Amino acid sequence: MALSRQWRRRLAYGGNATLVTGLVLALLGVVYGVADRNRARFDFSSDSANQLQPDTLKKLELLAADGQEVEVIAFSSQEGKADTFFRNRAMKDLLAELDVHSATVKTRFVDFDRERLTAESLGVTEYGHLVVRRGEQRVDLKAREIFRNQGTGAERSLEFLGESAFSRAAAQLLSNRRKVIYTLRGHGELDPDERGPGGLSELKALLDQENYELKPLDFFFDRERTGAPTVPQDAAALLIARPKAALTDAEEDALITYVASGGAVGIFWDPGAPLPDLVERLGVTSPEGVVMDKLRVFPYNDRPVPTYGGHAMVEDLREERIVTVVAHAAPVRVPEELPAWITPSTVLRTSRDGWIDRGGVLDKGAAVYEPDIDLIGPVDMAVALELSPGQGGLVNEGKRVSRVLLMGDADALSNMIMGEGPGNPSFAVNAARWLTWDDARLAVVGKPTRVRRLALTEEDQGRIRWLVLGLLPALSILAGGAVWANRRGR
Amino acid sequence: MTATFAILKRELLTYFVSPLAYVFLGVFLFLAGVFFYLGIALTGEASLRVMMGNVSISLMFVLPMLTMRHFAEEQKTGTFEMLMTSPVSPVAILVGKWLASLTLCLLMLLGTGLFVAILAYYGEPDWGVIATSYLGLFLTCGVFCAGGLFASSLTDDQVAAGMGGIVLLMPLWLVGSASSLVGEEWQARLDHLALLPHLRSFTKGVIDTADLSYFALLTFGFLFLTFRTLESRRWR
Repeated sequence: MALSRQWRRRLAYGGNATLVTGLVLALLGVVYGVADRNRARFDFSSDSANQLQPDTLKKLELLAADGQEVEVIAFSSQEGKADTFFRNRAMKDLLAELDVHSATVKTRFVDFDRERLTAESLGVTEYGHLVVRRGEQRVDLKAREIFRNQGTGAERSLEFLGESAFSRAAAQLLSNRRKVIYTLRGHGELDPDERGPGGLSELKALLDQENYELKPLDFFFDRERTGAPTVPQDAAALLIARPKAALTDAEEDALITYVASGGAVGIFWDPGAPLPDLVERLGVTSPEGVVMDKLRVFPYNDRPVPTYGGHAMVEDLREERIVTVVAHAAPVRVPEELPAWITPSTVLRTSRDGWIDRGGVLDKGAAVYEPDIDLIGPVDMAVALELSPGQGGLVNEGKRVSRVLLMGDADALSNMIMGEGPGNPSFAVNAARWLTWDDARLAVVGKPTRVRRLALTEEDQGRIRWLVLGLLPALSILAGGAVWANRRGR
Repeated sequence: MTATFAILKRELLTYFVSPLAYVFLGVFLFLAGVFFYLGIALTGEASLRVMMGNVSISLMFVLPMLTMRHFAEEQKTGTFEMLMTSPVSPVAILVGKWLASLTLCLLMLLGTGLFVAILAYYGEPDWGVIATSYLGLFLTCGVFCAGGLFASSLTDDQVAAGMGGIVLLMPLWLVGSASSLVGEEWQARLDHLALLPHLRSFTKGVIDTADLSYFALLTFGFLFLTFRTLESRRWR
């Protein structure tokens, strides 16, 4: 039976409309697919808490390099406890960010109460646990390593350290061997176990997260040693942080021997402190005086704001414009002509307005540049040296390049300044990474996320309840009532 | 443009000379108030994040009720033919009506400004996060208004249009929590379709271009379907 003209028209139009609609919807799907594969993310939160830190991104990149899958399994926190909501949400957010930024990372959030079998199969017995697996390797992080309570009472706040905890796990997966950095002691050096403002406990904790172990090295009290002092074989680097007394000849020899065998040393000192002979052997001096700059960290007169040199250690800090703070720094002078086996590179220096202050008058408590006494800058505060083997140099033929970091300020590593300087944690960690040849991991180190709490009393809650559930909707309904009454009145 | 503006003006007048808009505003503010209060009472956090997720789901039920009359009523009262034969293009009619609904949504969202003021008074909210949260919710409103208009264009019964709108939009919510039915792997794929995973970034302070394109494309998709439905009346 032939179709009527109207039906033929309907079929033609309908077919055309269906086809066009289908094509347009398919096109929308394709556009979304393209947008999803080429996404850009912009974090507008005030502390950029939702973007992974460059350091974590760098580690994800390194983990993805061999294509091996990394499994991140997070277990929920215990229901009914304070902060459970925040804890679970913060963990889910972190997993979502890891998912977005890495194709090789597979994440999973497990409800500990509902999925006990999963927990048992992984041997997890606690709430809030995080498991990071890569092939045969596995790192377990407990809830107390991921969340930290700060303060007490009304001042109490919860910090989420999930990203740094994951970062630590990633560091362990990337480096099977935990590297040991020895810190020399016996000459009044800064103590890694000291938790006070002048200690290095913050640095120790930071390096611990990065899979480095800070171990003390005491040539005097090492009772098991029978021969001449030596730096242990397992040392990935040696740290000398502000010696107040000079090293003995035997210690100097041990240091030179260590460097000659391709060892890495970081030496940090303050103005007027005795320097190991190694520094002089490298041709570097620390002229008398204190580094000053017109650009200072408010409100301190002795804290110049350093600018970053061209060294890879500070490249990300320079690009991100994150300031590292130094206090009462000694100048570091590298001669213009050095032997061919030494390759110097500036790490920190003053601005063009910097100088070496050698006394004189003060202006409102602050040092001023006096051309007849002071030495004009810019002044280096930290330099990195690479010592090639052979060529008549310090490092023995056949050994690997030795790395030495010289810095005229030890306080920059201390707990006091580490907490104040936004770039100091990254600077310290990157210094350790560079000294231990972990160059691929040089990046800015992140900060924990904090919960923005409301300080509400019972009365406040009652007032808010009344405002949002009563007054606001009632005003709107009243306005509607007025309109209705007005219309009826007409 | 003038025609679109005329339609927008007419629709807004229709809203505000009747108690309809005020009732919607009151209902929405009450629901948002409940979620806001529960959010801060349960978490003690100076954030709108709990509220935003729940409010978006409430809007899924509220906005189709707001948009249901747009085309259904015109068809029922017979003014639709007049409108379609007037020298105003279907696109202008469609965009004008959509913008009118969106303007009312904007007013609804502005009403929740009191919540932000409360957060600022008692705590230190993250202003960047608040701004992106509102942007996300506004884009959600755009999708829901477009979906509601599409449902309204399919029938001349307002109730059916309202319910149809809800049924049409609900999968956008449900596919986001179907993991127990489809498994984790498929859930990851379905999350591309689900609305809440796309809104989540906004409520964290992050603007993701993929999420922006999701909202823009979904809105455009619904508006396009509405346009095709309106146009089909010419030859049906």
